[in-house]
Amino acid sequence: MRIHRTVCCLALLLPSLAFAAPNPRLVLPQFKDLADKATQSVSITMDPALLGLAARFMDAANAQDAAVMDIIKGLQGIYVRSYTFDRDGVYQSSDVDEIRKQLAAPGWSRVVETRSKKTHADVDIYLMTQGKQVLGLALIASEPREITIVNIVGAIDLDKLHKLEGQFGVPKLTEP
Amino acid sequence: MSEGLEARLRAALRPVSPSEEFSVRLQERLTAAARPRRRAVALWFGAALAASLVLAVGIAHRASKAQERVAGLAARQQVLDALRVTNQKVDLAYLTVTSESRDEP
Amino acid sequence: MTADEQLARARAGDSDALAGLVREHQRSIYSIALRMLGNREGAEDLTQEVFMQLSAKIGSIASGEHLRFWLRQVTANRAIDELRRSTRFPMVPLDEEASFCHAAEDTDPLLQRQLDRLLAQLSAPARAVLLLRYQEDLDPVDIARTLDMPINTVKSHLKRSLEMLRSRCEVPAP
Repeated sequence: MRIHRTVCCLALLLPSLAFAAPNPRLVLPQFKDLADKATQSVSITMDPALLGLAARFMDAANAQDAAVMDIIKGLQGIYVRSYTFDRDGVYQSSDVDEIRKQLAAPGWSRVVETRSKKTHADVDIYLMTQGKQVLGLALIASEPREITIVNIVGAIDLDKLHKLEGQFGVPKLTEP
Repeated sequence: MSEGLEARLRAALRPVSPSEEFSVRLQERLTAAARPRRRAVALWFGAALAASLVLAVGIAHRASKAQERVAGLAARQQVLDALRVTNQKVDLAYLTVTSESRDEP
Repeated sequence: MTADEQLARARAGDSDALAGLVREHQRSIYSIALRMLGNREGAEDLTQEVFMQLSAKIGSIASGEHLRFWLRQVTANRAIDELRRSTRFPMVPLDEEASFCHAAEDTDPLLQRQLDRLLAQLSAPARAVLLLRYQEDLDPVDIARTLDMPINTVKSHLKRSLEMLRSRCEVPAP
């Protein structure tokens, strides 16, 4: 099975399950318990105002900044919570139950579900769509020592995001 | 052993100087922001008040611009961080699928 | 002119005296900012903010010792706040200048690399503790006062940071 990098195209094949106006913004818990146990935490909350502020301080003449500006121009929010621990088994799958309940609601469809026997890493990617339009993305990545939740409000183009890989100061991901 | 490492740490973390250009710029800004050292003589009260207000607004504007720049650069960094994390995890899914499909008979 | 005399003149409005104080302390403050934030632009902005604030508040600084305490406290806490606003635990920086350590030129490259990684991985408060101890040579009690942190937390951060660094710098026996 191949994953289609252009998830937007895949989204066009999905039935639209919206009843009331769907809200692609997840309610993220504080995760205080996880943060207290983590050796490393990332907590990013970017609303439209902060995204606008960030865009004003990007340099359109710089290739990376220009590419990032292109990606975020259609977004209304980016929310990331990521916790890294110093050993396996510190967090439970139930720690993200609240998130999964929201993603089970009408409007969200799981477009990617991967379970790795080698790395024991599970990644679920959800899209919220309305007709042909992508309203938002949610991602839960559960690894033995790291749990990451991403919620993006707006139409994110994963193809464009993929093209930035290697420019983030982190080597391109290689197979485990 | 610990003392050796701590000594090396101290040596590595000796303070470093900012650029000369920054030092000059900083001094200029501090001079501009400093209170008047001498009272102006023979100024009409109205003109003096107006001049003070303009100066105060100018200083406040410069200070708030500097604050906005700090906030804007921090916001830019957050966006880069968020996109990097997202990309990493999407890649994780992609590699899982491609490596396991390669393993399939 | 002693430090206290220079401070007294600066409080009285002597701009040359204030300029002298800034020259005396800017290296230390800039280095804290640089090693906390990991980039020169942010460090310059923060350094400028701190000294602008000093200029406004110079009347309330009682002595040379108070001045040193005040400068470190404001710089470290502002840097921590800024890092908390961006990410809780800063990851490896994304800019081209991916270095926190900015070590002195004669530093052993292995130590520099490991120190860079360590600083990048530490939480903002732990990073501040390490810098105040090994860059500013403060003892744990003074660090606790500067950061308004329990002394045991300071000691814990120091112990853990040294252990992480030691384990990275050890060369395995052949």
